[in-house]
Amino acid sequence: MSVIIQIKDKETESSIKKETFFNTTLKNFFLEISLITRFAAHFFIELLKPPYEFGELLKQSYLIGCKSLPLVGITGFIMGLVLTIQSRPTLVQFGAESWLPAMVGVSIIREIGPVITALIFAGKVGSGIGAELASMKVTEQIDAMEVSGTNPFKYIVVTRILSTSLMLPILVVFADVIALYGSYVGVNLKGDVSFHLFFSQVIESLDFMDVFPALIKTFFFGFAIGLIGCYNGYNSNKGTEGVGISANAAVVYASLLVFIIDMMAVQVTSLFM
Amino acid sequence: METKTDHTILKTEIEKMNSAVELKHLKKSFKDKHVLIDINLKLAKGENLVVLGKSGSGKSVLIKCLVGLIDADDGELIVFDKNISETSSDELNTIRKKIGFLFQSGALYDSMSVRENLEFPLRDQKKIFKAELNKLVEEALADVGLSEAIDKMPSELSGGMRKRLGLARTMILKPEIMLYDEPTTGLDPITSKEISKLILEVQKKYNTSSIIITHDIECAKITANRIIILKDGLLAAEGTFKNLEKSEDKWVRSFFE
Repeated sequence: MSVIIQIKDKETESSIKKETFFNTTLKNFFLEISLITRFAAHFFIELLKPPYEFGELLKQSYLIGCKSLPLVGITGFIMGLVLTIQSRPTLVQFGAESWLPAMVGVSIIREIGPVITALIFAGKVGSGIGAELASMKVTEQIDAMEVSGTNPFKYIVVTRILSTSLMLPILVVFADVIALYGSYVGVNLKGDVSFHLFFSQVIESLDFMDVFPALIKTFFFGFAIGLIGCYNGYNSNKGTEGVGISANAAVVYASLLVFIIDMMAVQVTSLFM
Repeated sequence: METKTDHTILKTEIEKMNSAVELKHLKKSFKDKHVLIDINLKLAKGENLVVLGKSGSGKSVLIKCLVGLIDADDGELIVFDKNISETSSDELNTIRKKIGFLFQSGALYDSMSVRENLEFPLRDQKKIFKAELNKLVEEALADVGLSEAIDKMPSELSGGMRKRLGLARTMILKPEIMLYDEPTTGLDPITSKEISKLILEVQKKYNTSSIIITHDIECAKITANRIIILKDGLLAAEGTFKNLEKSEDKWVRSFFE
């Protein structure tokens, strides 16, 4: 009898533990969402308030945008080339080889270009921002700015989020062009299509609703990457260990957010098509 | 008995002098840990006040409360006749510009050169022309003997140079109050002495009122006009270096041995 009671007690204890764990995790999740929302609201408030940090914005745009060009370019080229090589056999089977430029063009412009570039950007820039801000926090640089009478949120966070929001769309356009060039190279590996003909087919296959929504969503991708990177770095509080945690969290959550925004963008776009 | 008399005289003198900073019943806790329980303190104008105490006794928290980096739970923090816990953020920023804070690590901006580090506190003073700015930067560097490092990056500097640069960056705004958070930690005895002398020079040249948090007794000896010792969130002892060195309290004396 006492054994049965003991087993029942253990079961009850384990179910309470599970429930507590579930509640805590859920509570932490919603707490984190509310803190990120508050951080974003703070960004918009500081964005509108003078003085404006144009110098730092330009510097960050250069560091975030220009310095990402080689990586984004190489990735874009490989993306276009591989997509073309992989798609070719299937299209050949259906006798639709001539559709290759149009199909690759639409895929790259609408979906693959923005998403892959945003993921690369999250890995390079998001983690960089997370680690940089966390180490600034650990070494008291943010405190030093604050006591010198400078608003560190405006100087560090606003400029970086604005830079990522403005630079990612430009990088995506650049990556799309390079990817299409990669596709052109891919098409010519086993065929002979002129540069002019290839790009004419690509441009003819695209319309406004392919390009515009794809470009708009990249602003949101950039904003999300900057926001998550800054949030994790700015709120880092575990010493040097926190630097690694912030960098890692910045990449993971920013990448996840890219997919969520993409899913929402597709739903919204489909309403107008 | 003699010590007590000296201490009373010192306290009376401090009461008579105009105060730069006044703390009344300052309290600060982190969750269940009561770091500052009831701190009452006056910093006279032009005075160097050294704060001693064991690690974790709330010395750094005390000066961080003074510049609003940490919000006090209760009490009054009067700086330039204003209670900083009741000021707006704009007012707090104006007050902060009159207070220099030398961080333990130096807190130099890694991504900026030495010149840019020094220019940073002056960046919102639009009326300063480039030539004037250069002059101010060069002067500040000359004051701490770092003129040759103007175009270097902070990562290229030694520990002592970083501390001196941190001091130069703080002094460029000509603050009326200086807060030093362990200015000699991690430095060799010779460089520590140089930094301590520099603190004294700053006091003489700019007539600053300073609070110096330190564990370095040599630094306290060189710089202090008055010393206070914190224990368990309270002010445990107060006096001049000579007074406290000869204190009857063994615990107080142990800081000076």
